[in-house]
Amino acid sequence: MAMTPTEAALFEAGGPRARRRILIGTVLSALALAALVAWIVYRFYVKGQLASQYWYFFAQLNVWEFIGMGLVGTLRAALGAGAIALVVGLVLMLGRTSRWAPVRWIATAVIEFFRGTPTLLFIYAMFLVPAQMGLKVSTYWMVVIPVSAYASAVLAEVYRAGVNAVPDGQKEAGISLGLSPAQNFVHVIMPQMFRIVTPTLVTQLVVVVKDTSFGYVVTYPELMVNAKVLIANFSSLVPVYLVVALIYVLVNLAISRFANWLSRRQDAEILKVDTVMPHAVEV
Amino acid sequence: MIHDFAYLVTNYGQAFVQAYLVSLRIAVLGFVGGFLVAIVLTVARVSPIPPLRSAVTAYVEIFRNMPVLCLLVFIVYALPDLGLVVDYEPAAILTLVLVSSSFACENLRTGINTIDAGQIQAARSLGLGFSQIVGSIVLPQALRAVVQPMVTLALSVMISSSVGSLVPIAHKELTGLVAEINNTEALGVTTFLVAALMYVFTGLLIAFVGRRIERRFALWR
Repeated sequence: MAMTPTEAALFEAGGPRARRRILIGTVLSALALAALVAWIVYRFYVKGQLASQYWYFFAQLNVWEFIGMGLVGTLRAALGAGAIALVVGLVLMLGRTSRWAPVRWIATAVIEFFRGTPTLLFIYAMFLVPAQMGLKVSTYWMVVIPVSAYASAVLAEVYRAGVNAVPDGQKEAGISLGLSPAQNFVHVIMPQMFRIVTPTLVTQLVVVVKDTSFGYVVTYPELMVNAKVLIANFSSLVPVYLVVALIYVLVNLAISRFANWLSRRQDAEILKVDTVMPHAVEV
Repeated sequence: MIHDFAYLVTNYGQAFVQAYLVSLRIAVLGFVGGFLVAIVLTVARVSPIPPLRSAVTAYVEIFRNMPVLCLLVFIVYALPDLGLVVDYEPAAILTLVLVSSSFACENLRTGINTIDAGQIQAARSLGLGFSQIVGSIVLPQALRAVVQPMVTLALSVMISSSVGSLVPIAHKELTGLVAEINNTEALGVTTFLVAALMYVFTGLLIAFVGRRIERRFALWR
C-alpha cells in the first residue's frame, strides 16, 4: 500500500532498532492474519462447507448464466435509476437555486424528504400501497422509483456543488455578453458543470448499485433474488452468498476505478458533497 | 387521510414510539461501534506495518462496496452454516458496525491526509516524539476535518437501520412495523408518510447537532 506524504511523514526513516521493531510487527501481524484465515478455513472444514456438494454446481455453465442474469437485472435497475436521477436531480437543483422563494422551498423540502427517507421504507410503500389502491406496478419500478428518489436528492447537491465550482468569471462573462440567465446557464455554466461533476456522478453509481439489492424484498430478479433461487435449488447457502457478495464488491470497485480514471482524465476531482449540511459546501 | 392518521395514532401510537426507539438503538450502537472500530482500523492503516495496512485496506474495500442487505442476509442466514449463530437484532447492529466502520476509517484517513506533511516534519524537528505528534498535532486536526463526513455517515446509519425490517427482530423497528401494519390492514400512504417523516426529522436533528459541533470545532481552510 502506497503511503501518502502525510502518512510517510508520520514515521522517521527508521534506525536499526525501529527497523527491527517494524520487522517484528510485520511478522507477528502476518502470522495473526494467517491464523485468522486458517481459522475461517477450519470453520468451513469442520462444518463440512468445503464438501463438493456445496460447490460442484459452480462448474455448470447454466448456473453462471443465471447469476449473469441476476447481474443484468441489477445493472438494468441501477442504470434506469441512475438515468432518472440524472434528470430529476438536475430539476431539483434548478428548483433549489431558483429566484422564486416558493420554488426553492418546495425543492428543498423534496430533497430533504427523499434524502432522509430509507429507500427500503419507500420500496415497501411501492410494494403495498399501489396494490391497496388496485394499481399494478411492476417489480422493476418498485425498485427503480425509490432508488432513483434517493439518488436524485444526492445528485441535486452534487450538481449544486458543480455549479459553485464553475469560476465566477465565466458566469459574469456570459452575462456581460448579454446572455439571459437561462442562456447563460445552458451555454456557459452547464457544459462546464457537467465536466466537473462527471467523476462524482460515477461514484454515486456505487450507491445506486448497492440500493438495487433491495429488489430482494419485492423479488425483482436481480443478484440477491437469483442467489436465493440458486440456494433453494442446491441448498448451498455460504458459497452462493460469498460469490454474490464478491460480484457486488468487484462491480463497485470497477465503478470506483472508472471514476478515478475519469477524474484524472478530465482533471476534475471527485467532489466531497455533503448532503447533510449542504450549506457547508460553499464555505 | 386525517381519519387514517387519527386511527393510526390511537391504535398504533405506542407501537410507533417503541419501534422508533428500536431503530434509534440499532442506529446508535451501529454508529458508535463503527466509530470505535474505525479508530483501531485507522491506526493499523497508517502504521508502518505492511500486512496490517493491506488487511485494513481489504476490509474497507469489501464492506464499503457490499450492499448492507447482502451483508445482513449473509450474517443471519449463512453464518449458522459455519456454526456461528447471531440473534437478529445483534446481527443488524453488527452489519451496521462493519459497514460504518469501513466508511468511518476512510473518513479518518482522509482527515489525517488533510494535514500537511510539513507540519509533522516541523514537529519532529522541534524534537516531538511520535505519540506527541499524533496526540497534539495529527489527531486534533484530523478529528476536526472529519466532523462533516461523520455526520453524513451518522444519517446514513440511521436510514440503514431500516434493513432490520428484513429479519424478524423481536421488537420491530420502524420500517418493519410499518410493513407489518400494512400487511394486516390497508392504511395506505399514511403509515408510510408518518414513518418517513420520523426518519426525516431524525435526519434534520442529526444535521442540527452536527452543525453545532462543526461550528464549535471545525477548521476552515
